[in-house]
Amino acid sequence: MSFAVVVSLGAAAVAAGGLLAVARRSFTLGLTTQGMGCALLAGGGLWALVTDEAAGASFTSAFDPRVGIDGLSGLFLGVLGAVGAAALVFATRYLQPSGRGRAIGALTAVFVLVQALVLVARDPLTFLVAWEAMTLVPAAVILVARADELARRTVFFYVALTHLAGAGTWVAILLLAREGAIGDPSVIASGSGVQIAIALAALVGMGAKAGLMPLHVWLPLAHPIAPAHVSALMSGVMIKIAIYGLIRVLVEWLGVLPEWLGVLVLGLGALSSVAGVVYALFQHELKRLLAFHSIENIGIIVLGLGACLVLRARGADAWAAFALAAALLHTVNHALFKALLFLGAGSFEKAVGSLELDRLGGLIRRMPWTGGAFLVGAVAIAGLPPLNGFASEWTTLQSLLRLPAYGGVADGTAGALALAALAATAALAALCFVKVVGLVLLGPARRDAVAHAQEAPVPMRAGIVALAGACVLLGVAPGLLFGSLVGLAPWASAVPTSIGLDLPGTGLFRSGGIALVLVALVAALYVLRGRRVAAPAPTWACGQLVERRLDWTSAGFTKALRLVLEDVLRPEREIDVRVEGGVVQEVAYEGRVPHLFEERLYRPLTALAMEGAHHARRMQSGRLGTYVGYLLALVLVVLTAAKLGVLG
Amino acid sequence: MSGREAAATAVQLVGGLALAPFLPGLVQHWKARLQGRRGPTPLQPYRELRRLWRKSSVDVEGAGIVYRLAPALTAGSVAVAVLLVPVAAGSPDLGVGRDALVLAGLLALARFAVAAASWEVANGFALMGASRDLTIAVFVEAALVLALAVAALVSGSTDLVAMVAGTSGTQAWTDPALALGAVAFALVVVAETGRQPVDNPDTHLELTMIHEGPLLEYAGRDLALLHWAAAVRHWLVLVLAAQVFLPHPTDPWVQLALLPVVLAVLCAGLALTETLVAKMRILLAPRLLAVAALVALLGVVAWLVETG
Repeated sequence: MSFAVVVSLGAAAVAAGGLLAVARRSFTLGLTTQGMGCALLAGGGLWALVTDEAAGASFTSAFDPRVGIDGLSGLFLGVLGAVGAAALVFATRYLQPSGRGRAIGALTAVFVLVQALVLVARDPLTFLVAWEAMTLVPAAVILVARADELARRTVFFYVALTHLAGAGTWVAILLLAREGAIGDPSVIASGSGVQIAIALAALVGMGAKAGLMPLHVWLPLAHPIAPAHVSALMSGVMIKIAIYGLIRVLVEWLGVLPEWLGVLVLGLGALSSVAGVVYALFQHELKRLLAFHSIENIGIIVLGLGACLVLRARGADAWAAFALAAALLHTVNHALFKALLFLGAGSFEKAVGSLELDRLGGLIRRMPWTGGAFLVGAVAIAGLPPLNGFASEWTTLQSLLRLPAYGGVADGTAGALALAALAATAALAALCFVKVVGLVLLGPARRDAVAHAQEAPVPMRAGIVALAGACVLLGVAPGLLFGSLVGLAPWASAVPTSIGLDLPGTGLFRSGGIALVLVALVAALYVLRGRRVAAPAPTWACGQLVERRLDWTSAGFTKALRLVLEDVLRPEREIDVRVEGGVVQEVAYEGRVPHLFEERLYRPLTALAMEGAHHARRMQSGRLGTYVGYLLALVLVVLTAAKLGVLG
Repeated sequence: MSGREAAATAVQLVGGLALAPFLPGLVQHWKARLQGRRGPTPLQPYRELRRLWRKSSVDVEGAGIVYRLAPALTAGSVAVAVLLVPVAAGSPDLGVGRDALVLAGLLALARFAVAAASWEVANGFALMGASRDLTIAVFVEAALVLALAVAALVSGSTDLVAMVAGTSGTQAWTDPALALGAVAFALVVVAETGRQPVDNPDTHLELTMIHEGPLLEYAGRDLALLHWAAAVRHWLVLVLAAQVFLPHPTDPWVQLALLPVVLAVLCAGLALTETLVAKMRILLAPRLLAVAALVALLGVVAWLVETG
C-alpha cells in the first residue's frame, strides 16, 4: 500500500464525512470521519514527502484531467491534513447540528477536498477549476454562517478582489500550458519575455490569493468573520496553497529567473512582513489582529522564496535550497500556530462572546488548557526560542544573510535591508503578542462574562493542544522535517541530518540542546526561588491606588510605537472637551490608525473606476440604432486595420 | 578537550555566570568617581544580590504562573546565552551551538518574559516600561542583526568562534565595514545594558524609566534573578564588543589574558558616556538606534564594495 492509496482513502473519508454531516443524527460522526480522513491525508502526504517519490500522473500541459502526487504536494497535503484534522476535531463541539451548522460541516469537507485537489492536480484544467473553487467555497461558508450586511459586503469584496487579481493565475498557467512548460523547466529560456510575463502574472494572481501586500486587503476582512475552524483552514492552509502555486511556477517550472525578479519578490515579502505586523499591532479585535499576522507571516515566507530566487540566479545552489526549505518550514510552522491561535480565539469567543481585546483578561486562569496552548502559539508566532517560529525565522535570516555573501552590491544591499526588516518584524511580533497575551490571558478579568468563562469541552481543547504539541516538537527538533524540505528543491541538494539545524557556515542551531538546557535551568531556578512568600500582597504600583478603570489598553501599550512611527502611520485622533461654567464636564476621545493601503491606494482606484463607469454609461443609450452604429464602426476599424497590415 | 579549550570554557562559564555582576558594579563605581563622589565599591551588586536572596518574595494577589516563572525564564535564557558566547577563538561548543543569530533570539525571549509578567500585575509603571522596552527593541534587534551580519560577512560565518577568529588583529581599525559595524554595535551595547542616553539605571522616575519599570513589583529572589540577568546582559554584549568589534589578538591565550583589561576599559567607557551624555527623550531613543541600524547597513554596503 503506497501513500497514494492512503491519500485517496483520506479524500474518500473526508467526502463521506461531508455527506454524513448533512444529517442531524450523524453530524458528529460526519465531522469525526472528516477529521480522520484529514489525518490520513496528512499521513499519506508526509509519507510522500519523506520518500520524495512521485505517484500517479506527472505534470502535463495538455487539458486532460489527471491527478498525481510528489514530495512538494505531499508536504502541503500534510499541512492541510494536520490542520484539517485539528480543526475538525475542534468543530465537532464548536458547530451546532442546526441547519446552518450542518451546512457548514458539509461545506468544510468540500473546502478540504478542493484544496487537496489543487495540490494533486497535474494538468492546467484541474488546477484552475480547483483553484477557483478554493476561492468560492469559503465565501459560501461565510454567507451560510452569517447573513448580515457586513458579511455580504465582505464576501463581495473578497470575491471581487481575488478574482480581479486572480486573473493573473489564469494568465500564468495558460501561458505555461501554451509553451508546454508545465512540469518542464527546460522549455522556457532564461530571461525571455515570456518567462518574465509568466512570473509577474503569477506574482499578481497567486500573491493576491496569498495575501501578499499590496493585494492583501481582502484578507483581514474575510478571515475574521468566518467560523473559527474555517478561519484556521483559511489562514493556516488556503493562503499557503497560493505559496505552493508560486513555488511550482517560480522555482520549478520557470528555470532560473533574472536577479531583479528575485529582488522584487524580496521587496514584496519585506513590505508584507513589516507592514503586516505594524497594522496588526493597532488592531483591537483578536481575530482581525490574527488576520493581519497572516499577512506578516506570508511576508516572511516570501522573503525566503525571494532569497531562494536570487541565490539561484547567483549560482549559490546549496543556499538557494536552504532558503526554499526555510520558506517551506515557515509555511508549516505558520500553519500550525496560526490554526492554533484561530481555534483558540474561537474557543474564547464561544466562552465569553466578543473578542474586543480591551474587554477580556485573565482567561488563562479560567481556561487553563485552551489558554496555555494559546500562550504556546503566541510565543511561537513571536519567533522566540525554543518554539518552531524561531527555527524557521532563524533559517530565513541565515538565507537572507547569504545574499550579500554571494550577490553583488545591489542585491546584496537588498538582502541586508530584508535582513533588517525581518529582525524588526520579529521584534514587532513580540511586542504585538505580549500585548495579546497580556490582554487576553493575563491580569484581572475585565468584564463579568470573562470572569465566569468556562473551559472549552474536551474535543475543542484536544484540537488546540495537539497543535501546540506540534509547535513544541518542531521547535525542539526542526531537523526532523528540514532535511526532507531541502530535498524538495528541483536541483540536487542535501543537508547534514540532525534534530537541530546544522547548516554549513553558521554556528549551528542546536535546538534540542538549547531547549534542554533552557528547561533544566528554568526549572532549577524556579525551584531555587522557593516558595518563601512573605504574604500575598495587592499590586504595589509605587504606592498608588490601582484603579480598574485605569487599566492599560491595547492602544495604550502600543502608543510608544505609534508615536515613533507617526510620520509613516498618520494616526488620527479627536479629543472633544465639553466645558460648562469653567468646569470640564465631559471628555470624548477617539483615536484610530487608518489602514493607509485602503485609504491611499484602494479608495482612489475605486473612485477612478466608478468615474470611468460613469463615463462609459453614456455609451449605453439603449437605442438599437446606436448599437448597430457601434458594430459598423468596429467592423470598419477592423477592416482598415487589416488593410494596413496591422493585424499581421 | 585541550588545555586551551578548557581554559576558555572556564573563563566563559565563571566569567559569564559568576563575575558578570562585577561589570555593572565597576561602571557605577567609576561613574561615581568621575562625578566627584566616593560611590559604592565595585562589589556592591554582589552585596545587593546577597541581601535580596535572603529576603522572601512577594506574590502579587491574583498573579499566576507567568508572573512567577518570568524571573527564572529571564535568568535561564541569558544563562543559555552565556553558554553560546565564546570568550576566545578556541572555545568549544557547549551543546547549544555558537550561532550569533540564536543569541538575538535568546535576548528577545528574556524581554518577552518580563514584559508579559507586567501584564499579570496590571501595574501601570511596569506596563509603561515594558511598552517602551519592546518599542526600542524593534530598532535594537534590527541594528544588532545587521551589526552581526557585518562581522559574519567579514569572517564568512555566523559562528561566533569563527567571528572571533575572522575579525582578529587590527582589522577593526583598517576595515571600514567592521568599523561601521563597531559603531552600530556600540549603540546596541548602550541599549542592551540599559544605560544613558537610552535608559538611566539610577532612576525610578516614571518619565524616564524603561528597564526598571517591569521590575517594580518583584522582590526577594525574583528580583535577585532579574538583577543578575541584567548584569549578564552586560557580560554578553561587552564580550562580543571586545572579541569581535574591537581589535583583538589572534592567539587565543593572549585573547583570554587581555579580556579582563578590555572589559574594564569598556566599563570605563560606559561610565564616561553616562557622565558626559544626558538621558535623551524616550521617543528619540528609537531614532538613535535606527541610525545605528543604518550605520550597520552602510557597513554591509562597504563590505560589498570592498569585496565586489
